[in-house]
Formats: sequence, structure tokens, C-alpha cells
Amino acid sequence: MALEKVLVSNMIQPRLTQLFRFVRCSYADGVAELAYAFDDGEELVERVRFPNAPVVPATHAAAFEAALKLLHLIAGVSYYKAGVPPKIEVASGPLDDATAELLDQLYLHGLAEFAYRNGLDLRGRIVFPRGAAAQPLAPAAGLPKRTLVPIGGGKDSLVAVEAIKSIGGEATAVWVGSSALIAACAERTGLPTLNIQRELAPGLFELNRLGAWNGHIPVTAVNSAILAVAAILYGYDSIAFANERSASAATLEYDGQQVNHQWSKGYAFEQLLGNWLHTHVASDLDYCSLLRPYSELAITRAFAKLTPYFDVFSSCNRNFKLLGPKPADRWCGQCPKCHFVFLALAPFLPKPRLLSIFGRNLLDDENQASGFDALLEYQDHKPFECVGEGAEARAAMYALSQRPEWQEDALVARFHSEILPQLDASQLALEPWLEPSAEHHVPARLQPALATIG
Amino acid sequence: MKFGGTSVATLPRWQNILELVASRRAEGARVLVVVSALTGVTDALKQLCAQGEPGKRSEAAKAIAQRHYDLLDHMQLAMPDTLGERLGDLAKLAGEGPAMLGELAWQAQVQAHGELMSSALGAAFLSHSGLPTQWLDARDCLAAIALPNQNERTRLLSSMVEAKADPALNARLAALGEVFITQGFIARESKGRTVLLGRGGSDTSAAYFGALLKAQRVEIWTDVAGMFTANPRQVPGARLLQRLDYEEAQEIASTGAKVLHPRCLSPLREPRVPLLIKDTNRPELEGTVIGPEVRAHAPSVKAISARKGITLVSMESVGMWQQVGFLADVFAHFKQHGLSVDLIGSAETNVTVSLDPTENLLDSDAIAALASDLAKVCRVKVIAPCAAITLVGRGMRSLLHTLSGVLAEFGQLRVHMISQSSNNLNLTFVVDEEVVDTLLPHLHDLLIAAGALRTDDSALFGPSWQTLYGSGGAPDTVAAWWREAERQQLLELAAETTPRYVYHLPTVRKQARALKSLAAVDRLHYAVKANTHPAILRALAAEGFAFECVSPGELEAVGAIVPESVPLLFTPNFAPCADYVLALGTRATVTLDALYPLEHWGELFRGREIVLRVDLGRGLGHHEKVRTGGSGSKFGLPLDQLAIFLQLAETHGVTVRGLHAHLGSGVLDAGHWGEVYVQLASLAERIGSVAFLNIGGGLGVPSHPGEAPLDIAELDRVLREVKAAYPQYQLWMEPGRYLVADAGVLLARVTQQKGKGAFRYLGIDTGMNSLIRPALYDAWHEIVNLSRLDEPATALYQVVGPICESGDVLGTDRRLPEAQEGDVMLIAQAGAYGKVMSSHYNLRAEADEIVIE
Repeated sequence: MALEKVLVSNMIQPRLTQLFRFVRCSYADGVAELAYAFDDGEELVERVRFPNAPVVPATHAAAFEAALKLLHLIAGVSYYKAGVPPKIEVASGPLDDATAELLDQLYLHGLAEFAYRNGLDLRGRIVFPRGAAAQPLAPAAGLPKRTLVPIGGGKDSLVAVEAIKSIGGEATAVWVGSSALIAACAERTGLPTLNIQRELAPGLFELNRLGAWNGHIPVTAVNSAILAVAAILYGYDSIAFANERSASAATLEYDGQQVNHQWSKGYAFEQLLGNWLHTHVASDLDYCSLLRPYSELAITRAFAKLTPYFDVFSSCNRNFKLLGPKPADRWCGQCPKCHFVFLALAPFLPKPRLLSIFGRNLLDDENQASGFDALLEYQDHKPFECVGEGAEARAAMYALSQRPEWQEDALVARFHSEILPQLDASQLALEPWLEPSAEHHVPARLQPALATIG
Repeated sequence: MKFGGTSVATLPRWQNILELVASRRAEGARVLVVVSALTGVTDALKQLCAQGEPGKRSEAAKAIAQRHYDLLDHMQLAMPDTLGERLGDLAKLAGEGPAMLGELAWQAQVQAHGELMSSALGAAFLSHSGLPTQWLDARDCLAAIALPNQNERTRLLSSMVEAKADPALNARLAALGEVFITQGFIARESKGRTVLLGRGGSDTSAAYFGALLKAQRVEIWTDVAGMFTANPRQVPGARLLQRLDYEEAQEIASTGAKVLHPRCLSPLREPRVPLLIKDTNRPELEGTVIGPEVRAHAPSVKAISARKGITLVSMESVGMWQQVGFLADVFAHFKQHGLSVDLIGSAETNVTVSLDPTENLLDSDAIAALASDLAKVCRVKVIAPCAAITLVGRGMRSLLHTLSGVLAEFGQLRVHMISQSSNNLNLTFVVDEEVVDTLLPHLHDLLIAAGALRTDDSALFGPSWQTLYGSGGAPDTVAAWWREAERQQLLELAAETTPRYVYHLPTVRKQARALKSLAAVDRLHYAVKANTHPAILRALAAEGFAFECVSPGELEAVGAIVPESVPLLFTPNFAPCADYVLALGTRATVTLDALYPLEHWGELFRGREIVLRVDLGRGLGHHEKVRTGGSGSKFGLPLDQLAIFLQLAETHGVTVRGLHAHLGSGVLDAGHWGEVYVQLASLAERIGSVAFLNIGGGLGVPSHPGEAPLDIAELDRVLREVKAAYPQYQLWMEPGRYLVADAGVLLARVTQQKGKGAFRYLGIDTGMNSLIRPALYDAWHEIVNLSRLDEPATALYQVVGPICESGDVLGTDRRLPEAQEGDVMLIAQAGAYGKVMSSHYNLRAEADEIVIE
């Protein structure tokens, strides 16, 4: 039996703090150290470990420095939110306007759901120090023509991987943190892999125990900044995320503010960060989402053809850290992600195949009614998860209600008898959702991959 | 004697075959050996067939030839002519391609070479090793028959042989020698072409030869000792089936067992040739004998199996009632879409059928198309994924009365369909697939406990798979403390007075130390409800345990015994407000498991740190009444109320410092705690204030002889793995029964005996008033006659107490020595939930308690 340790050393009251400080950041031997502090409290040091890191070439030193600094500023959101103090200080001095604007936007919108859940109003509270002179535009770094593709274990990144493979593009499957699920998916892609480790400052857990604010943070932004550092370090000219169109839609509006659970997966952030990297890091480093023009339904249709991934992938947000062989070890069957992916794949897969992926039939389980109602935006607002738009879910459900092999299932039958009569059937067609939109930020080199998805 | 692919792939395995054949020769038998191709060679030949380019085909043929050269090298044998010829033929076939023979005939010819080569190689090895062996071409013996439904593909690649006794072949072989080797998997059809026998073909070949030659027996040598009462991968406690009749064996093979292909039994049935399954690596094990003979024995379930991936199609229509041809129309649609129906259940307005998983079902739109067609004549519902759980045994209908406890288990589940086979050999339940993995081992235990699977009949049932192949070695190697070391003392104690409980503290300490070896666990609490005897509390406090109490009474009892520094946990359920007031005045950490206390007495908890007990939504355990998870149980906060609970906690300034879940008792699967731990950790990540996770207790203690104990090393591994993923949380546990069950026995004396019909009742001087577990949970306690421990167990007793209740039975159908009035009877494993649950019912004197230090 290990000795008991009671971790109460520092008696700071996180919610009463007045100042959040970006103390310093440094990099050596594959490890980036990012230090933060509240008021005059102890430093909170986060470490990001880059495996088998090469030496940063002198020609890339400035680009690397800029990317590392951005990572420091963005990763701070995990700590800032513990206290949400009224003042932010950057020890290395004020930021130029473009950088301050990026961070003001990210912290305000990326923490909007957090603020809503905790009854906080962050408008006017988040002000990064600005006023430094704008830097000259970053030159091209001559980065090799290859792509970092972040893998999440879910369907979207696998569709992106296959799109790049289909045009013969060179790519590496990358993920941040330990996840047996993601490792299994990454291995199944057949691509080279890169696993970066992020170690949160241990002091953060202690702050949580002392009553810190808690909630959702824009983790995609943090991962994006980590990958920007990795792209310069290892040499990649592009980072291709797999964020789809509906990620840009707000989850709800609250007190005049748009709240989007997945703001950092949205188009606004993609453009902000993409442009910032061009001007501040390297003009030839592209940051984009390969799935941006597509709806969830268009993506699930593409994924439905990727049979080899069916027994390894999962979009479920629970039970991610350990895996067993059964579907129930990958899909909890209770959360909005499980509900949505089940519903969105259903029109495109033979029913027995879909049910074998999930190990059960979520649409024939009356206990799941309220979960599916939330997806359909029926009697409830959209759930705080990365799921498609309500109209998209309604189109998928409508398609199933017209199929004999589905229409007797409890929730499909309920949709047909209770919900459908209240809807305008002309708005329920599946086909329009399968059309790509024009909006995307994909660089010319990867545009042929974009076309293979639709 | 038939040997499969792995058995013929290496020199040591061939030496093994040599020994086995020689031993049969020594018994005076003439031997025909049937072999498969070297492992992997049949697949390689199939790939060769799929290869379009002649160059690549020849390369593949060379690689296959090399496998055989390598093995010859190991055997230090020169290339025998027979094998050289085969290799030449294969090279030629590969070069030519299918043009000459036609695609399918060419494929059959190519694939037949795997067995032709391995048998040629084997003949050379056996002869060279001093056992003259004749090579026999199976195609000269096995004639494939043409069947009306066959197409060219099945005729050539999945053929059938009519195996009638062939005295001429017998005479021919008798003239040639004593030992023969031939090929599995191949035969010849009427036009003289080589054909294949399809899946399970080598076993089937052996059966055909057994029938042709009217052999003394057919022996299938494989990598496991035979058929088991369940799939050992799902049920490690599955028992070896030593004796089956053809029909039962075929039923078990068809409903899940992989060791034998069901096809290979029918040729043997008519000539009444027995088939023996043996383990090549462990020839000393008895194996399974499948024969015609049904010896007189009590009817018993023989096996339980599960097939997953089943899809049900339920068709509902009033139109079908008494309508001629409705079913024929419906089934025509299944045929049209290439779907084969397995089980059928019908009612006047509903027909439900099951479909086995096939590629056609999973990856084509067959189900959608079928449903569209059926929807025109009836309402269709497609139910999946399901699993078919099948009980197999001859005369299943006459076994139904023994199954009530087993059937009760299905009461909690969605049972979509029940089918009782028309041959009266099986009873099948179709349930949701997700429940199967945990349900199957549990049902297997229940079948044994209910006396439906008569594992006490040692003529039919052999050792468990765990005992034969398990990694932990044979369980029960350590004799219980009362059996030898303390027996005399126990007899003396019983002579003073009975009934009495006796507790053996060294056993408590031993169990405590086993749990302390779990490195991932930061704090262990003894759940004192199991046994509150002061000596036990003191012993566990000395071992460094903390204590878990569920009532003010328990808090008081523990408080009086253990030092002030020992942590306490208070985990009540539906307790009155006053209990919390009292507990908050002690050092105990309080656990809440409902909204009510915070909703109604919230200010009582202001500024406090509490533990929240959640219900993860499902229960586990050896009996419905010890299961503490799932909506049907009164324990724990359901997860959908978690957000409200946290809000209430925030409102009243209460900090949720720990999360707790406990799903049930008597759990023997180490993975269970890993699951609970992971689920609690992922919940805790969203709460922030949580510092520790209490994954409860429920560590099982096996009660039946031969049952595998909980694997503590495996539990340690599972917990460490989760801890590594969530290092920020301390891990707590609260075992109870595990620590004390084996340490206690109940001593009683024989009062009277009675014969009634076939039953013999053995009365003892205490019953459910002292030990209620058998009556309450159907718990099984080992019972021995301590006065006559060394005498043969010849009587079959129902062991009963003196209480005026029919349920006052401590053990049913126990094999014990003939007893006398005054004999001392010992009821084992009575240290947990024995004395603490006893009563004054009938105003019988209570059992007293004695402690052995």
C-alpha cells in the first residue's frame, strides 16, 4: 500500500486571484517548458515533450521562437480559467496588435461555454497587453512538402488521412497525449506516427481541489499551437485538421453572446491562426481543415466506405484512456457523440454492420430518447459536444424513418409519429447536406485531396 | 488418427506423432494416419490460385516447396521420390495456370497438394524412424458423390463423400501393411477429378475413413483436450466433457464449439464408430469420447454456448393468420436475398427468424432490400446485434424444472426469442449481444449451482479448463485451515457446545496481506458489516486497515476497538438524518448516495468534504440480492442526477472529495474493478475537486471446489494500468467478505435423519437462524462431517436445520459419509455474513463465537 499523500501545501483561493502571469517559456532537448502563475503564487509549469526531436536549425530559429511563444500564450488558457482574474500580464512585454487580437478572441470565444456554465461574463475581462510594434512579415522557411495530420480516434481525422493518402501525399499521423484508442487508429492508417506528450502542471490539480473554476477549454487551439511548433521542429509545410462545417455553428446564444462548444474547431479560428502563422512564423506553413466544406453527413458518408477502421475508431468522449476488445469499451452509448455518430452513419451503412460497430442499437432504446431529442433540437437545445447541426440530425432521422429496416425501431417510430408531423418535410432531404460549400482555407497543394471526399 | 496443420509443421511435432502411432501399434491396433497440410500452406496455395501472373505463381510454388525442404533438412532426410514428384506437379500446375483444367478444377488440384506433400513427407519420416508406413492416396479411397443442389463450385471445392463400409479396401490395406498415412481434405469425383471437402475437411476425411474401414475408433489429435461445457475463453471454469453421444456432440459443435466441425460426426453415427478428441501436447489427458452409447445417468445439461452477431427479423401481420402460403412467400424473400434462416419462432400474427452473421448480411444492402420487400406484406422489425445463448443436453424438456434459477437470470434482460429445438437437444435464448460476455460465465455457475449441469458426475465431467490449462496452476492446493491443522481443536470445541462459530485469525491476516500487495491501492477499508467480532477488528487494525461502517451501531463498535488514528468511512443507505448528524460528529468521512440529504438537510453538510456514491448503471454479483448497481438496485446516485447533485453541493458549500461505486459482491473477474475505476476516473475528471476514488469491494471468494480464486496478481496489473492513466487520484477499496469468509466456520451436531422418497435428510442442531446465506442467496457452503472426514462419501444428503421453514436447508445433494447422531458437522466459509446476519427465529439459542489466535 503506497503512503497516503494529501496534497494541500499552498492555500491560494483560485477564484479570488487578481492577476494571471505568463512567466516564461523555454525549449531544450525536445522539451518545451511553459510557466504561468497567479498573483505572486508558485509557478505552474507545463511540459510538452517532442519525441526524437532534431536540433532546431539556425535558419529556423526565429520561426521556432515565434511558434513556441504562441504555444505559451495559447496553452495558458488551461490555467487562466482556474481563476479568471481581472488582469493578464506577459512577462516578456506587450504583444503586437495581431497577436493580442488572436488571443483576446480565442480566450473570449474559446471559454464562452465555460463562462456560460459557471455563470461568468468574460466580455471586457480578457485583455491581453498590446502595443508592441508589428514585426516584419515572416519569410518562407523552405519547409518540406509533407503534412501533419492530427488523429483523434474518431471518424473525421481518418477521412482526412485517407483523402491525403488518395492523392499520394506524404503525411504523418500525429496526436498529443496518451491514448490507446488513438494509437490503435494511427497504427491502422499505415502512416508514420508522431506522439507528442503534454504534461499539465501538477499544481493545476491542486488548484482544482482548492475550488478552481472548471470547465471546457478550447483544446483544439492548444493542440494546433503544439503542432505549429512540431511543424517547424521536424519540417512540415502543412497541418491538416479535420474540422467540419458545422463546427462553426453556435451551440446556443446566451445573454447576447454566441456560445460555441467547438469554437476553436470553427472557421473563424482556422483563418485567424492560419493567417497569424503565415505572418509571424513562416509564410510557407499552412494551417487548415481538410473537411471544412463538408457537413457531418457528407463526412460520415465518406467514412462509411472505410471498413478497415470500423473495429478501431471511436468518437465517444468517455473511456478514452483504456481500451478493451468489445464495442462497449469504445462506445459508451450514452453521450451525444455516440448518439450523433450512430445516427449520422446509419443512412450510409448496412444496418447489421452499423450495429456491430456499436454493439447495440441506440435507436431501439427508449432510454436514449432525450439524447436524440437534443440532437434533433426537439424540446431541448443542442448539446455541448462536437456534434452536427440539428437540421442535419433531422435529415438523417427522416431518411431512416423512410426505410423499412429502421422504421419500427423505438426512436425512429417515435420520430415518425410524434416529431415528424411538427416539421416541414421539404426541409428534411439528405441530399443537400452531401454538397460541399465553397468555404475553406486549404492550400493549393492539398486541394485535390479535398475533392476526393465529397 | 488425424493430425492438424500445426501438428505436422515441425520435427518435434512429428516425433510426437511417431510416439503416439507407435503406442497404438503396441496396443495391437493397425493405424491409419490422416494429416492436414503444414500450417499456413493451404492459405499459401489459395493465394497462389488468386495470382494472375505465371511468374508470381511459380515464385509462390517455390516458397511453398522451400517450407518442405526446410522441414526435411531438420529431419535430416533425403528428398523422398514421392514428395519430389508432388513438388514437380505443383511447379507444373503453377506454371500452366487454370487454362487447361478449368478454373475450379485447377484450384482443387493445386490446393490438394498441401496434404499430398505433408503426407508424403510424413511417410518418409515415419518409415525412416523405424515404423514402416505406407503412403495411401486418399483419392483412391474416398469417392465424392454428386448431389442435386450442387453447383460446379460446391462439387469441386466443398464436396461430400458417401462413406459406406468397404470390406474390399480393408482387405487391400491388410495385404499392404500395418501403418498407413493419407491426406485429409481431398477426394475424387466420378469423372476422376480431384475435389476438396471444404471447411473442417481433414476431420471429415478421418471420419469417412473410420466409416469405410469400420475402425475401432477415430482419434482427432488437436491442441485442446476435447469439448468443454462452455467456450473456455469466455468461461475459464468450463469443464471437460468426457463422454457425449453423437447427437449432443453435433449440437455442441453446431452451436459454437470450434474444436470439431459438426459435419464430421454424421458418417460415424450409423457404423457406430466412436470418435475420441485428444490433446497432442497432453496425451495423458482423458479427452472427449463421442459414441453411440448413452449410459444410464441423470439427465444433465452438457454445455452452454453463445453465438454473437445474430440479426433477428420480426414480421408482424394480421394477414398471416390461417392464410395458406404466407410463410412460403415470406421465406421466398429470404432465399431471394441470399439470407439463410436459423431459428424460427412463430405466433398467430408474428414470425421472428434469426440470421447468422455473414459477409452478405454485414456488407451488402441485403437486409435493406429484404425489409423493403417484406414491408409490402407485413410490418418488419430488424433487431440486432443479438446473441444466441444455447443450452445443450439430451432430453432438454425434462430438464426444465431444474432451470428455474437460471431462467430467473433472464428476467432482467430483453429476451427477444426462445427456441426449443425440435430434436429436444437444445434450448436457445436470443438476447442483446452486449450482455453476453458477463452473462455466460455467470449462467455456467448458475447451471452448476442449480444442479442442472451435474458436474458432480465424474464419469461425464472432467476437470475445468482453468485446472488443465490455466496460468495460475491448480487452485485449492492449500488445504483449508480446518481440514488438518485445527481439526482436533475444532472437534474439542464442538464437544463443549454447538452450534458455535470459530474464527481463525491467521487466515484473516493472510487475506489482508494478499490485498496489501495491491500496490495501486492507497487505502484499504474493512467493510465491517461482514463480521464485527472485536478480535477481527483488532487484527485488521493491526494490519493497517481503515474501516467502513454503514450505521451508527457499526461506528460505535469500531470506535470502541480501533485506535483514534485509524480512518473511518461512513457509507449508509436510506439512513435517517440523525445518522448523518451523529457521523459528522466523528472523524468518519461521510458518503452520500442520493439527492435527498443535500436537498433537505443541505446546511448540515456546509463546509464538509463528502464522498458521492454513484450508480454506474449495471450490477454484478453472484445473486440478484447482492447486486448493488443498476436501476433495480436501491444504491447509488444515478448518473443523470450528477449535475443536480453537484449544483446542490455548490449551493451548500459542500466539496465532493471522493467518488464511490460498488456494483456487487462475489465478483471473481479482475477486469471488473478496472472498469469501475476507469468510469469513476473519467467522471472525476469533470468534477475537479475529487481527490480519491473508492471502487468498493465485492472481491469474490470461490465456494465450489475447483473454482478458480480471484487472481490478485491480475487485479494488481489491471489497477496499476488504470492508475498510470489517472495518477492524480488516490485509490480506495472496501473489501469485506474477502478478508473473513474463509476464516470462519460454523460447527453443529447431527440430530436426526429421515428418508423421504429418493431424498435423505440429515438434520443438524442449527440452520437458517445461524446462517441465512443459503436460504437468502442460494449461497453454496462446503459442508463436511468433521467426525468422519476420512471415511468414504457414500450417502447423498440434504443437510437441514431445526427451524420451522421449508427453506431451512444448508446444503442440497451433498455427498457425505454415512452420519451418526452427534457427529460434528462443519459448514465452511461462514466467517462473513454468518453471525452478523443470524436471528432469534423460533427462539433457538444463538451460536457463540470462538477465536483461534
